[in-house]
Amino acid sequence: MLLEIEELTKVYRTGTRANDGVNLQVAEGEVFGLLGHNGAGKTTLVNQVVGLLRPTFGSIRIDGRDMVANPGLARQLCSFQAQAQVPIDGLTPRQAIDLLGQLRGASRSDVRAGRDRLVEALDLGEWLDTDAARLSGGVKRLVAFAMAAVAPGRLVMLDEPTNDVDPVRRRMLWRQVRHLADHGAAVLLVTHNVIEAERSVDRLAILDEGRVIAEGSPAELKARLGAALRLELVLDSEATALPVSPFGMSAVQVGNRLMVGVPIEGAGEAVSWAESLQSSHAVDEFTLGPATLEDVYVALVEGLDGPDQLEEVLDASAA
Amino acid sequence: MHPLRSYQLLVTWQALRKKNYLPLMMAVQTLFSLGIVLGYPLLFPTLDKTSIYLIATGAPAISMISVGLVGLPQTVGQERTEGSLAYMRSLPVPRLAYLLADLTVWLAIVIPGVVLGVVVGAWRFGLDLQVSPLVVPAVLMVAVTSACIGYAIASVLPYMLTVIITQAMVVFVFMFSPLTFLPDKLPAWLEAIHRILPVQAMGEVTRGTLAANQFGLPMGAFLTLAIWCVLGFGVTYVSMTRRA
Repeated sequence: MLLEIEELTKVYRTGTRANDGVNLQVAEGEVFGLLGHNGAGKTTLVNQVVGLLRPTFGSIRIDGRDMVANPGLARQLCSFQAQAQVPIDGLTPRQAIDLLGQLRGASRSDVRAGRDRLVEALDLGEWLDTDAARLSGGVKRLVAFAMAAVAPGRLVMLDEPTNDVDPVRRRMLWRQVRHLADHGAAVLLVTHNVIEAERSVDRLAILDEGRVIAEGSPAELKARLGAALRLELVLDSEATALPVSPFGMSAVQVGNRLMVGVPIEGAGEAVSWAESLQSSHAVDEFTLGPATLEDVYVALVEGLDGPDQLEEVLDASAA
Repeated sequence: MHPLRSYQLLVTWQALRKKNYLPLMMAVQTLFSLGIVLGYPLLFPTLDKTSIYLIATGAPAISMISVGLVGLPQTVGQERTEGSLAYMRSLPVPRLAYLLADLTVWLAIVIPGVVLGVVVGAWRFGLDLQVSPLVVPAVLMVAVTSACIGYAIASVLPYMLTVIITQAMVVFVFMFSPLTFLPDKLPAWLEAIHRILPVQAMGEVTRGTLAANQFGLPMGAFLTLAIWCVLGFGVTYVSMTRRA
């Protein structure tokens, strides 16, 4: 394993326990997702890996070497795209990407080749020589990604890389994340976007209140849910009582939506039940589809938090 | 990578970041120096020769102090708040290289105004300035010390407190510091305070090296300044490398 985190605990001076005994391993060639709602402790974790914060307890090793004792080495070994926008106003994307590549010690020709490839892959050509002060937030974030990817370290950490990025370029960006892993980097991806993470990561951990509450591949985590399908009911605004699921599986209400877990053999029964609810005007519409990582996420986090945070999570992943 | 190469690349980065405002900032600093030199005589039409020398050689010190103690800490405080300082601290470069690169760009902003202020002051009042070669280390020390103190304030205090304190310092430096007048004009208690603070020493080394024939060159002031310079740089460096 390239990155090994053991019992990592961070308690801020205010007393907030942002990470609480976190254990994680990320291998070379792997895209590892770190999921969690706002304030779950994701950014605190990456900031400790890159040496911006000192852990209260626990160890961080990259390639077997102690990063808590060697924060300077950690910065050499990690490429980092922070959650905040990069300070590149006044620079063009070309200048910013080249500077970062050279600061990482790559030769001019390697930097140029890497930059040209990324600019094409992320379709950034039309802004290549525009002052970053005039770029949109999404384009700036793509530039920040290119800065992290142009001469990548052995570990690449990306904190919410797709924020503000348009749907088409998001796909391009995910392909480049995979490209990094395919070329030997370990990628630690921090996101609250569960739907995108499901398609992009090899393994993931869900962080809640500083603790890892689940870890595995998307398929493994979905298997934990038990339900292969999800029935989503949009409740009628006039309806007074909540429909009670006949399947005895997880049901989560978010706003006027009710998500019900359904076993694969119950598909027919689920549709009949939903149709009867629709004809009695208890629900306006319904959809039956495969269970998603979002369902697992919501089910897991719901056990620990109130509905307010669930709404936030779903709003974020729908955005 | 060689630390010097990191430094060069970071100077490029920081200069490009400020490039849109750099000419304007330099112009404002120059006007600032000129304003003091040309404005004071309007306030006080009958100035004696010593006062004129004090104003002409005090203006560059005021200009450097105002950038270091006000402009720089407010910018650094903002960078801290928006997270860009943390990003720069995550780069694979020595923190010292980053700090020196940032200081270099601040010096580039302040120095042209200092030079032009002195030249215009000398021309306007027909002064006979006997410039000592020590003016180079003196100006560098004044600029670096004020920048380091400003940096230290911004690194340690929350942004709003930085803004309030730096504004209070402007009043203190302009009105109650012996830069364009001699310290014996101050009440005894304030004179005593100024013997410890760096501002008086900044004024003394600037005027002592710009007009060596008019004012002595107090080596004690260099020492005071050196202590403050090391102190400010030390606090800044520790706060840059410290992991919370």
